[in-house]
Amino acid sequence: MKATEIIFYVLTAITLLSASFVVTARNPVHSVLALILTFFCLTGHYVLMNAQFLAAVNIIVYAGAIMVLFLFTIMFLNLQKEDEESKTTLTKMAAVVVGGVLLVVMVAVFRAASVAPYDPATYNTRVGLVESLGMVLYKDYLLPFELASVLFLVAMVGAVMLGKREPGDRHF
Amino acid sequence: MLPIILLSVFGIVLLFLGFLKTRAVLLPAALLFILIALGAGFLEWNKSYLYFGDMLLINNLAILFSTIVLISAFMVVALSGDFLEDEMAQPAEYYAILLFSIVGAMMMIGYENLIMLFVGVEILSVSMYILTGSDKRNLRSNEAALKYFLMGSFATGFMLFGMALLYGAVGSFTLTDIKSYILLSHGRPSLLLYMGELLVLIGMLFKVSAAPFHFWTPDVYEGAPTLFTAFMSTVVKTAGFAALLQLLSVSFSAIYGFWWVILAAITALTLLAGNLTAVYQNSFKRMMAYSSISHAGYLLIGLAALGQQSRSALVFYSLAYSLATISAFGILLLVAKQHTTDGRPDESYSAFNGLSRNNPLLAFVLAVSMLSLAGIPLTAGFWGKFMLFSAAVDRGMVWILILAVLMSAVGIYYYFRVVIAMYFREGQAGRIRVAPFYQFILIAATALTIILGIVPGLFQNIM
Amino acid sequence: MQPTQAPIQIPEVIQLIDLKYYLIISTALFVIGIIGVLTRRNAIIIFMSIELMLNSVNLLLIAFSSYRSDPTGQVFVFFIMAVAAAEVAVGLAIIVMIYRNTRSIDVGLLNKLKW
Repeated sequence: MKATEIIFYVLTAITLLSASFVVTARNPVHSVLALILTFFCLTGHYVLMNAQFLAAVNIIVYAGAIMVLFLFTIMFLNLQKEDEESKTTLTKMAAVVVGGVLLVVMVAVFRAASVAPYDPATYNTRVGLVESLGMVLYKDYLLPFELASVLFLVAMVGAVMLGKREPGDRHF
Repeated sequence: MLPIILLSVFGIVLLFLGFLKTRAVLLPAALLFILIALGAGFLEWNKSYLYFGDMLLINNLAILFSTIVLISAFMVVALSGDFLEDEMAQPAEYYAILLFSIVGAMMMIGYENLIMLFVGVEILSVSMYILTGSDKRNLRSNEAALKYFLMGSFATGFMLFGMALLYGAVGSFTLTDIKSYILLSHGRPSLLLYMGELLVLIGMLFKVSAAPFHFWTPDVYEGAPTLFTAFMSTVVKTAGFAALLQLLSVSFSAIYGFWWVILAAITALTLLAGNLTAVYQNSFKRMMAYSSISHAGYLLIGLAALGQQSRSALVFYSLAYSLATISAFGILLLVAKQHTTDGRPDESYSAFNGLSRNNPLLAFVLAVSMLSLAGIPLTAGFWGKFMLFSAAVDRGMVWILILAVLMSAVGIYYYFRVVIAMYFREGQAGRIRVAPFYQFILIAATALTIILGIVPGLFQNIM
Repeated sequence: MQPTQAPIQIPEVIQLIDLKYYLIISTALFVIGIIGVLTRRNAIIIFMSIELMLNSVNLLLIAFSSYRSDPTGQVFVFFIMAVAAAEVAVGLAIIVMIYRNTRSIDVGLLNKLKW
């Protein structure tokens, strides 16, 4: 077994375990930390696949910005307590059964599916680098790129509008 | 293309107008902006353009759908005079978000690339989450926003996974590439394609609230401020169905045999779930939520029976549905304000008791929109249903047709409850003062409903 | 004159591991996210499960994109990240707003409207 293969399997195992921990942990802070670990493992996968730029962006945006926002909210609202009363066992069982069936069905379909294999002759090794991504993003995908700014404006206006303290509201 | 650019700019202008001391300028400004965008859209009439390297396709169908969206938005903004007097409301932000959300809707209507669909869906959905929660002190509005947000993002997850699988099969996000991949595969495309299409459909059906993905709809529609419920139930639905039509007719028409059965089953389920639960509601607003589910069912007939005829049928039906729904919500807004219990507006059927005595105009407007929604002849809703049903006949879908006709009969029962309450029940409704412009919008929508009901050919000539 | 660039090898993982493994890993992540959404009641944890679902999509897209050596899949991942960031901002604002009014973000306690 080559080193890459070992890294692949270890990363995969940690990814799936920490992802399971995200949804099972009783304490929200533990969930957040497990989710950050998941993101780092995914970044490892991206590096393995030579998508270096997205690996960096993944760390900066997900592990950096998004998870900090999550942690910030949890700490700000003082939600570290484990006071969540759980759903009934029946609902949980049903949810797990639904998920399990979905997993089995999808994996069965994918095993039967024909997937185009990689082609060493035409393989372009520079795909995941900033250069080629920039060319595609700013040439072919210029319109959605510009219009994504509308989305950010909406999100910004909305977050300020909803999160702002009105006169008479409590502090936290 | 031009309306998208204009609306993005006008939204920012509206945000700046919000700095002004006088709020009175906001409403006319927003209306003017929507009218300009409407006019600009027709500059591209009869020319078919592909913009920015196959990102956006503007043809007559796209312009018609955008027009319906803009008319709905115009009516909703025109009925929003109350915000200008409410201390807690922030009309500049509301109007700006409404304009931005139309940009998202237009991206969904004319997309040629799945990325455009994704960004458009997200702009529209994020705007709707915000507007649902805009009544900040009202716990019901808060909850509706949270529920809508969580369910909406959940649905987005499905849609994205589907798109990723489509990419895995095809190697491109362009609709025409997906089509040529299917054609070149000699009837044996990769299974990833089928799975991907299924997941994208699930995500989109969530957004247009088709059963069994409709469970969030009644709560969200009931909890959101009434005006934004009107916007959601019309604009999101029109844009969602336009997007589904584009996806199914451009990319997946070659594997019609695979998806029409699934879509037909969902249609039947949606018709049953929407109509049968609507019967048991006591709140008019909640009934309208279930009614919007049932109308999603009728629109789905047009998709399941995809053909040349179903395009014009979908456009006509969306227009008829939007006109009737917005005027109904407009009347609800007026009536509910008169009857408050525990400081909350009363949205039950009994609030409409005896409305016709002192407010004959309002009662007439609501009666016409109920008749149109129920599909009674001489209203636009009748022809909408007629066109959809005849599209289904062309495809030989008799069983779905029988079900749809039966469910329309059920619909007559719950739509007529409010008509009976208005005309035959005793109530102490006083005279409701209506602003002249508000009145004008209601009359115009009613007139259009009746005109389209008497001469539907007017509209078909445009198509 | 073109600056000389060091040649990059085809990533070993692509030569050694079949693409189907990545399909199955991302499906597993996706399903874990779905189970989280369905079983938990804390809005923040439901939200994190949704983030897991989005990340499974990212992994899948990058895998397809790398194995095919086609950059569009990775560009899509950019958009997903951007949208996720915008959604997080709005979602957390909604959660903060609810917490102000109720002091709780348990979706089960929010039963003015039936969940």
